[in-house]
Amino acid sequence: MKLPKIRELLEAIKSLLTKPYTSKFPYVPHEPYPSFRGQPKFNPDKCVGCLACEQVCPAEAISHRDIVDDGIPRRIMIHYTDTCIFCGSCEANCIADNEGIKLTKEWELSFFDRSQAYETIEKELQLCEICGVVIACKDHLKWIAEKIGELSFSSPTLYQSYLKGLNIIDENILKAYKDKGRSDRIKILCARCRRETTLTTK
Amino acid sequence: MALSRVPIGPYHPLQEEPEYFNLITDGEKVLDIEVNVGYNHRGIEKLSERKSFDQATFVIERICGICSTSHPFAYTRAVEDVFPVEVPERAKYIRTVIAEGERIHSHLLWLGLAGHFLGYNTLYMWVWKLREEILDVMEILSGNRNNYAMFKPGGIRRDINPDDIPLVLKKIDSIVPTLDRLRKAIIDDPVLHKRLKGIGILTKEDALDYCAVGPTARASGVEKDVRKDDPYGAYDRVDWDMIVTYKGDVFEKVVVRVLEMYESIKIIKQCLKNLPPGEIDLKLKDIPPGEGIGTHEAPRGETFHYVRSDGTNRPARHKVRAPTYMNLPTCEATVIGESIADATIILASIDPCYCCTERLTVFSPEGNKLYNGNDLIKLSQQKTDKIKKEMGLK
Repeated sequence: MKLPKIRELLEAIKSLLTKPYTSKFPYVPHEPYPSFRGQPKFNPDKCVGCLACEQVCPAEAISHRDIVDDGIPRRIMIHYTDTCIFCGSCEANCIADNEGIKLTKEWELSFFDRSQAYETIEKELQLCEICGVVIACKDHLKWIAEKIGELSFSSPTLYQSYLKGLNIIDENILKAYKDKGRSDRIKILCARCRRETTLTTK
Repeated sequence: MALSRVPIGPYHPLQEEPEYFNLITDGEKVLDIEVNVGYNHRGIEKLSERKSFDQATFVIERICGICSTSHPFAYTRAVEDVFPVEVPERAKYIRTVIAEGERIHSHLLWLGLAGHFLGYNTLYMWVWKLREEILDVMEILSGNRNNYAMFKPGGIRRDINPDDIPLVLKKIDSIVPTLDRLRKAIIDDPVLHKRLKGIGILTKEDALDYCAVGPTARASGVEKDVRKDDPYGAYDRVDWDMIVTYKGDVFEKVVVRVLEMYESIKIIKQCLKNLPPGEIDLKLKDIPPGEGIGTHEAPRGETFHYVRSDGTNRPARHKVRAPTYMNLPTCEATVIGESIADATIILASIDPCYCCTERLTVFSPEGNKLYNGNDLIKLSQQKTDKIKKEMGLK
């Protein structure tokens, strides 16, 4: 019986001299490891509002709401903190070089009211110039135009979005088409209106 | 003879799935046991048929919080079996590392709980402290303590950063001395010998008859391990041993699990040291029509998944068989003839999957005595104290 007692004594002395195993958490903030998967956060500058993250999210923690009849038409991207499972699918599938939504190291995510457990960003929407339905976010159209380069000049919707973004749209260019009855085509159009203006005669 | 009926469940306080046991007892002795399962139906199989192949991995991961690698491992193998394709070498190694890390923390969790049931609360605290180290390792490797979100059909989702490997190896090495002490404390403890040896014996014939899997079968001398029988991942590329013992009592099941943790440490260290370079993901796009099966040796035994694809991006049928399904009926062979105090640990010794809510009532037909879960644990702990007293230790 003697030997265990000596071992226990040694252990007691050792634990007197060592730091506690537990951390002083609320007073000393906890720093997670660099690879920690925390809350995903939108980056309003990089996000193009393409909704790829909403499509792939396994927990349906990302959704959006389009507001067209009140002020500037805009898309509100919503990330629900309480539903999120921090799997990182949104970041892995983000078309904007995986930077539109990124996992952060944030982990203190408690809320008093569950209905407040969400984060939003706003992206400006592009509406069809004829019928007024939502085409896509302005940044998304610009992103496509940049991605496909000169090919975007085959689509008035794309190159006009791109040029408008650069502030170099010239009304005189459009004027030339007006006399030939094709002014409808040189507009930012939704798929349905483009088909109607291109394929059907009214 | 006055028989009484002792219901345990439907929510068992010690065990990990809502199960319902009906012990028919004569005094202390259990004469018969009825087992009912199916109280925790969450529609996981149907749910995964609603998700795409990629998204379903996350649902499968949440079948069990402790086996959150085993189920995706078997599922991804089943999907890869539809093609069939071979995942890249690096992905195989990383999958193996994650699976073995899970095995260590699962066995430690069970060991701690077993210590708690037997009245060894110090063991419980020590083991769970040790488990924190492993959970830290998993956080470094995958970014989360549980539910690692590493698996996807065709590979893995995130790579291991080579800079993290020295830290991980250091942490893995640091648990070995503590594990050694625990092994000595458990395997050489005379009280545990007296308390656990010779109770709940599952003979080899019974283990084969009931199709027991995992440590439950290996403790009874059945040499059955998917990792050896049908090697996958990096299990055929590393050196490790299958732990088999022959007596089949609760003590042997403890021994198998303790020794398996050493093998897991061996596997993790070899995998991390010989991690091959290269791709981690095949980037599978379209799953062809067909069917596939996938198996994985989970901490509790063989997990089996079946996936049928009809060429769309969703599984047309998905079937899951968890190891507890095979192990649970063995309690018919082990519990009968033992006392109620022992039934607690015998029923827990198969390490059923955990989702317990403390709601248990034990009553006798006379109707006056009510036990809850804490009382049952107390009963079990008191028996250990009695044995200690008899041995003159207290």
